[in-house]
Amino acid sequence: MTQHALAPARRTSWLPSLPLIRAKLLDLRKRRTLMAVTAAFTVGLPVIFYGIRVIYHLSDPRHFGPAGTPSALATTGTLMAEFGFIMAAVLGATAGTGDLADGMFRQLVITGQSRFALYLARIPAGLAILLSLSAVGFTVACLATGFLNSPAGPGELTPSAGALAGAALWLELYLIIGFTAGLGLGALMGQRTVPVVLLIVLEIIITPALADHALPDFVNVERLFVGVAMDQLRPAVLAGGVHIGPTGGVGLVIPPMPAWAMTAVIIGWIIGWLAIGAWKMATRDA
Amino acid sequence: MTAVSDQGAAPPARAGGRDPWAVEVHGLTKRFGARTAVDAVDLLVPRGSAFGYLGPNGAGKTTLIRTLLGLTRADSGTISLLGVPMPGDQGHALARVGAIVDEPRFHGHLTGRENLKVLAAARAGDAESQIGPALERSRLTGRADDKVSTYSMGMRQRLGLAACMLADPQLLILDEPMNGLDPAGMQELRGIIRSLIDEGRTVMISSHLLDEVERTCDQVAIVDRGKVIRHGPVGELVAATRSAVEVHCDDPARAARALGGSELASRIKVTGDGLNVELAGGPARERTAEMNRCLVEAGIAVHGLSLAHASLEDWFLSVTSRLGEGQ
Repeated sequence: MTQHALAPARRTSWLPSLPLIRAKLLDLRKRRTLMAVTAAFTVGLPVIFYGIRVIYHLSDPRHFGPAGTPSALATTGTLMAEFGFIMAAVLGATAGTGDLADGMFRQLVITGQSRFALYLARIPAGLAILLSLSAVGFTVACLATGFLNSPAGPGELTPSAGALAGAALWLELYLIIGFTAGLGLGALMGQRTVPVVLLIVLEIIITPALADHALPDFVNVERLFVGVAMDQLRPAVLAGGVHIGPTGGVGLVIPPMPAWAMTAVIIGWIIGWLAIGAWKMATRDA
Repeated sequence: MTAVSDQGAAPPARAGGRDPWAVEVHGLTKRFGARTAVDAVDLLVPRGSAFGYLGPNGAGKTTLIRTLLGLTRADSGTISLLGVPMPGDQGHALARVGAIVDEPRFHGHLTGRENLKVLAAARAGDAESQIGPALERSRLTGRADDKVSTYSMGMRQRLGLAACMLADPQLLILDEPMNGLDPAGMQELRGIIRSLIDEGRTVMISSHLLDEVERTCDQVAIVDRGKVIRHGPVGELVAATRSAVEVHCDDPARAARALGGSELASRIKVTGDGLNVELAGGPARERTAEMNRCLVEAGIAVHGLSLAHASLEDWFLSVTSRLGEGQ
């Protein structure tokens, strides 16, 4: 020990360092059950979906068409979005509360590291896992569409590479929203279960209900729900043959939103939840 | 209330004009609603000392430590650690501070080494290079690659100390470090803490275990209901307690009469084959020798004399007014 040496001047930037992000990544990826379930819902889901379709097709080609049809891609994409959102929320809430639940938050604060940096490190770490796994899953779906399909039938055009890339970006954006909402809400509440339940309710009950019912006096309120905004942005290849709105999304019930409004709602959800979580992280007693 | 740990002694010399205090606290107050957990505490802990912060459960020890470390905000007062203000310059102040607050907890799904990697990443500089030596020092090298969920309480405490060592700390703040440890674990941890003190690091230990503070620390502040009520070198506090002598002799009744006529004893109690004599005051060793002389001159065969300080525990309970409170 260097007695009476000056404590080294240190960076207490609110930006997380690479080692800090790597440490959070280590923490998350070593949660075996969480990783297994996340992989199951992102990669396993399309593999199983197309696997079953391949078996059906091979066993009875006359009744079951090729596995990789465009409509199958739309169904896979929708399933990946729904389940992926929930898994993203679980991963985000875990990233937001894991240190607290394990008692490590206190230890980390004692290091003198900026609380903002500790919080922000969770974002790239969590997204690195989530987005890479979902990218693999969607690649499986794209490969199936490309290689497990017969010449497209009437009205079923094989999606272009550009359309598939757009669909992938939409899917990743959807998962980013789920992750940030889970992270912020988890950090705010200091626990994982309630935020996850709330986001599941949002995803499988509230959002579909709102998307299917345009309430004349409350359309603008409905549009503030991110699922509604994201539906309007949904690419055609994931729309499953339904009517596509003027901005590219499914504009079935809720009248189309201007692009700026959609952007504002989506960015607002991401930034809003992150800011709420950061505020709580900075002010919480450790 | 002021607790100046160098009571009766000059503060340590400034090194290169630097602050001589490892911990400097003035008027620190922390409230939880109507309850005041830390009540206007002043505290000066000299660098290089082993300082005990002693008090019964619920006295506000952990709250003070949490406030010192920026884990919770104070309502009023000022803090500086190693001469750096807290929480204003927290990153700088805590750079050379290691601490265990309550029981040390870690990610159970990570190994000991991985937990240290996580903590090292949050520290500046070469903390990661300290992981190996810290594990070795804490005698955890053999279990470093096991999951922490399989660790015993003692191993977690030692891992907590290893985490502290990542900072090469000038100041260690250990909150109830012996809690939950078996005697072997306590002895082991005591040895590690003692070695840290011997290296000249400042160690501040909060505890409700008087014996622990007496064994480990050279300075002590006693806290009760958020206030520091006594402070000073442990030796002085122990010396201030009355001493007692156990006397084993052939005729306890006659010995009691002989001592009763002198001014050596303030209280004499006959116990089977001997006496328990509470010394009236003055240097205990000299008084004991004088008492022996008195008994021999009275023709009493003295088989043995043993000097015992009255328990610091008795003294502690009397000053903290906690006797019978829980009933």
